[in-house]
Amino acid sequence: MIACQEKKSLPFLGPKETKMVNGKVDTVYHQIPAFRFLNQDSVWVSEKDLEGKVYVADFFFTSCPTICPKMKTQLLRIYERYLNNGEVRIVSHSIDPTFDTPSVLHSYAERLQVKAPKWNMLTGDKAKIYQLGEKSYMVTAQEDKNEAGGFVHSGAFILVDKQRHVRGIYDGTKEDEVNHLIEDLEILLNEKP
Amino acid sequence: MKYILIFSLFVMLASCQSKEEILYQQYVVEGRTLYEQNCANCHQSNGQGLRDLYPALAKTDLWKRVTTQQMVCLIKQGQRGEIKVNGKAYAGYMPANPKLEAIDIAELVTFMQDSWGNKKIYTFDEAKAALKNCR
Repeated sequence: MIACQEKKSLPFLGPKETKMVNGKVDTVYHQIPAFRFLNQDSVWVSEKDLEGKVYVADFFFTSCPTICPKMKTQLLRIYERYLNNGEVRIVSHSIDPTFDTPSVLHSYAERLQVKAPKWNMLTGDKAKIYQLGEKSYMVTAQEDKNEAGGFVHSGAFILVDKQRHVRGIYDGTKEDEVNHLIEDLEILLNEKP
Repeated sequence: MKYILIFSLFVMLASCQSKEEILYQQYVVEGRTLYEQNCANCHQSNGQGLRDLYPALAKTDLWKRVTTQQMVCLIKQGQRGEIKVNGKAYAGYMPANPKLEAIDIAELVTFMQDSWGNKKIYTFDEAKAALKNCR
């Protein structure tokens, strides 16, 4: 009963390190490192643009025939819900940067009727994108000729807090999982740094 | 008790249906499953499409403008380049569905016609013949 009444807080996901700070043991949580990619307006976007923002990240490609449209339908819900909340962002990384140039992403975003910087669609160096996906966001993203569309990737949505710590991973193809994400996102918005 | 009554009523009704009607219903039910598996990701469960990205199938001129022959080839082989739906141009592409066989396509087209076009069965034989005519 008591546990139920406690205010819910979210875990910190990913590898943790401990270090000594002024003679005290301090935990250093896994953090999304610095990055720099071009968005659908051919503008550079880096981790600095996400300072003080809670954001949802995902990996997709515009010609994806399988789960991406479902993910985009769900991300649209988040986009509409937080359209006027400057503290919330969406960051979609293309895993097919050879095809998904900024102009392809621009047309895609336009047809989806969404805009940067609320929803950034990013492209850039393929190796860097895959590394960011696997090492930092802890999701699968790679080429696979046997997969429909030529890529294998998870349909995960990664919830990141204002200090770029990963706080939740959800199945972005399922409506109820995304409802859960929205509940957790609200918790992060109220979190004091 | 109520449910048993409804159920027996359903069985009675079903038994009253002609063979053709039963086959039609089978096609629609199977077709709905195939639609959910292969089409609904983009065109959505209700056939409304997704904004300007993926065209709607429900309440569109597609069912008047596109012949079933064209529809069959489009499903099987996909679509590259622009397609106009309700006067609006859609630029993307639709992937091919090489795994769908004649019977799947017959059921799929029957389901879509039942939902959004003329309520008419599209038979296995028709689908088989149409597939042969795809380039």
